[in-house]
Amino acid sequence: MSNESIRIRMTYAKLGNLRFIGHLDLQRLFERALRRTNLPLRYTQGFSPHMRINLASALPLGFVGQAEQMDFWLDQVIPLNEISSRLRTSLPAELILKDLQVIDNKQPSLQASLLSSEYEILLPADIDLQILKDRIGTLLAQDTLPVQRRKKTVDLKNLILDWQLLSVSPITILKISMKSSPLENGRPDEFLVLLGIDPADCLVTRTKLIFEEEE
Amino acid sequence: MQTINLHQLEKILYHVEKPGRYVGGEHNQILKDWDLVRTHVCLVFPDIYDIGQPNLGLAILYDILNQPPDILAERAFAPWHDLEAQLRENNIPLFSLESKHPLAQFDIIGLSLPYESLYTNALNVLDLAGIPLLASERGSEHPLIIAGGQACFNPEPMADFIDAFVIGEGEEVTLEFIHAFEALKQSGADRKALLQSLSTIPGVYVPSLYDVSYAQDDTITEVTPSNASVPAFVTKRIVSELPTHPTRLIVPNIETVHDRLSIEIMRGCTRGCRFCHAGIVSRPVRERPVSEILQIIEDGLAATGYEEIGLLSLSSSDHTQILELTKSVYEKFHDRKISVSLPSLRIASFSVALMDELRDIRPGGGFTLAPEAASPRMQAIINKPLDDAVFEETVRTIFEHGWLSLKLYYMIGLPGETMEDVQAILDAGKRVQAIGRQIRGNRVRIHLSVGNFIPKPHTPFQWYPLNSNDELQAKLDLLKTGLHRTGIKLSYNIPDNTLLEAWLSRGDRRLGQVIQRAWQLGAKFDAWGENDNMPLWRQAFTAIGVDSDFYAYRERGLEEILPWDHIHTGVTKAFLRRDLEWSKLGKTRRDCREQCYACGILDAFADKRPVSPLVYWGCP
Repeated sequence: MSNESIRIRMTYAKLGNLRFIGHLDLQRLFERALRRTNLPLRYTQGFSPHMRINLASALPLGFVGQAEQMDFWLDQVIPLNEISSRLRTSLPAELILKDLQVIDNKQPSLQASLLSSEYEILLPADIDLQILKDRIGTLLAQDTLPVQRRKKTVDLKNLILDWQLLSVSPITILKISMKSSPLENGRPDEFLVLLGIDPADCLVTRTKLIFEEEE
Repeated sequence: MQTINLHQLEKILYHVEKPGRYVGGEHNQILKDWDLVRTHVCLVFPDIYDIGQPNLGLAILYDILNQPPDILAERAFAPWHDLEAQLRENNIPLFSLESKHPLAQFDIIGLSLPYESLYTNALNVLDLAGIPLLASERGSEHPLIIAGGQACFNPEPMADFIDAFVIGEGEEVTLEFIHAFEALKQSGADRKALLQSLSTIPGVYVPSLYDVSYAQDDTITEVTPSNASVPAFVTKRIVSELPTHPTRLIVPNIETVHDRLSIEIMRGCTRGCRFCHAGIVSRPVRERPVSEILQIIEDGLAATGYEEIGLLSLSSSDHTQILELTKSVYEKFHDRKISVSLPSLRIASFSVALMDELRDIRPGGGFTLAPEAASPRMQAIINKPLDDAVFEETVRTIFEHGWLSLKLYYMIGLPGETMEDVQAILDAGKRVQAIGRQIRGNRVRIHLSVGNFIPKPHTPFQWYPLNSNDELQAKLDLLKTGLHRTGIKLSYNIPDNTLLEAWLSRGDRRLGQVIQRAWQLGAKFDAWGENDNMPLWRQAFTAIGVDSDFYAYRERGLEEILPWDHIHTGVTKAFLRRDLEWSKLGKTRRDCREQCYACGILDAFADKRPVSPLVYWGCP
């Protein structure tokens, strides 16, 4: 075993039933799927070694992820197409491998460089486009949009970077871009609640993670 | 056939805790095309997913039933209160995890009943599925409701609700049953003819085909088959040798109680502890050879990616090749970053040596021993003799070999127990702590886990009454007071929980109405928490006019017909009586591999005993 580990970045989609699996459970699910690949996975040193994996950002329960990312590490170089074919057989049907890349170990962690996320929200069919547009306009014209999260209050306005309504009858989609750093994390479902829409009536898809540009 | 409204389901899943319990989609789940399959079976474990999914029996049946291409087996579990409320509010019937079909659309529902506290949950599941609870109210348009599992060795309390019980081991009888069912259905047999015919399959018990009559004093006078072709008694099914073990186990997406690759290394036990229900009903001993276990681990790890394996049996150190097994497991798997648990070890230094073999691949934490009784007198009564010197040496070895934490299982409420016997448990705990401290200092942790004895059907103690709540409480108080400020941890069961389990495990079919009433009053998840359901149960007994003490607190006559007498485990009632007599005399039996005590197993299963000396049964 060489000391230098190989960092692999995987882009994947999380769909269907797996939308209802939380972040910690997803992490365990990845560990087991990776074990099934029989790849030379890198573990932490010490008394109880753990597989080295690193997920970019927790996806809230119920959301679809189209381009989620995670890093894992190998002890030796394996061709990407080999890794890819092993992963495809070991991942559950509703976790879809989209891309693999080798990443320099010196690069910062996914969490540390994550800036924002883009979402597409499929709104209920009976929504009135004009009323919704006005409602969004009114909301964002306010100085702050405070929402309660457990014990603290967060200003949602500060977390919304951009938005856009697309409508091709009978489908209405709200595209929204929100901050996604560990300290400032926007939740589109909170915005839906402010709009008077039950998030359970929508399908929220995170379409893209935006990271800090490399030097 | 229609699935439930998936859009509606997704909507309500936003409002429940751990929605992953209800969606399926796990690795190794089997999803067949509903319309291309002839017979649809839903395996129902009426507890929450987190507890039910790791059950190995469920995995075995899922594997067997899904092998033939024209049968499918899916799963369902009891929904937690939050989802139940949503299902009822939105009129969504309970559904299977795989294809999301309502339970009522399956041909057969197989209920797993490993413990009695699931009875009200089983009724709740049927109700949520929109299926009539009473077998007498179901017809050909409803699924056939069958049940199996350890609690079914006394099927009588659930007799009103179940069409057919499968008694004993399910591996061989399950497909026999399904094939008979398919042939009968094709012939156009109605529900009555179907059940009549299924009752002739060995191991199948159709309770509606038996009449029970009672004497003035409420004891049973007779259990009679309703016609000549129904067998007078039903003998459990067994397999000659342990069948192929499933390896493509479903890997849960959410955390469950035993999140690991479980492997049954041996079935049955030869020790003959007189309180032990499993020890009687799972006879004879059948071992899985080491080479086969190693292959199962290899294939199982590849198919699941699990990081822990559990080597399961009633008494692991009694596997004849256990040392070879632990050595080979270490050699083959120690560099795979997995851990191995080996529960149910006997009290002997040998057990510590076994754990030593697994060195750095055993799960962290403590060592567990189960003396069950502490005084030599009590140990003789229950036939679990333990030499004091051996006990101390084992404890010493455990601490010397690096463990810091030791958990000891004991029972209170055993037949003939006095306060001195309970005091002996206390003394044993303190002695063990002193030994530990002497070797490892103040870091040692001692944990006494004390269970309340229930006289279970088919055991030599089946005739004894249960200790009253007051008696149990007095014994618990003695332990609590005695352990105060010693640093020894005590865990125990609430006497009310024990009483409920005693009613349900020792009852006859008159209890059916009580169970139904208790459920109507709101009882479910009866093993949870501080048992808030007890007032509901007392109310149900009163309403139906059944005396609960009759089942729990009455010493039963040796000649009495017991509610479960027509269910045969292979161990004869004559043997149980003799063993009870021996217990009263303080006489112990040795491991029955050393000497046969003619319990009846060899006679009952003469045709099943393997001729090949390679298949180990333990019986001399």
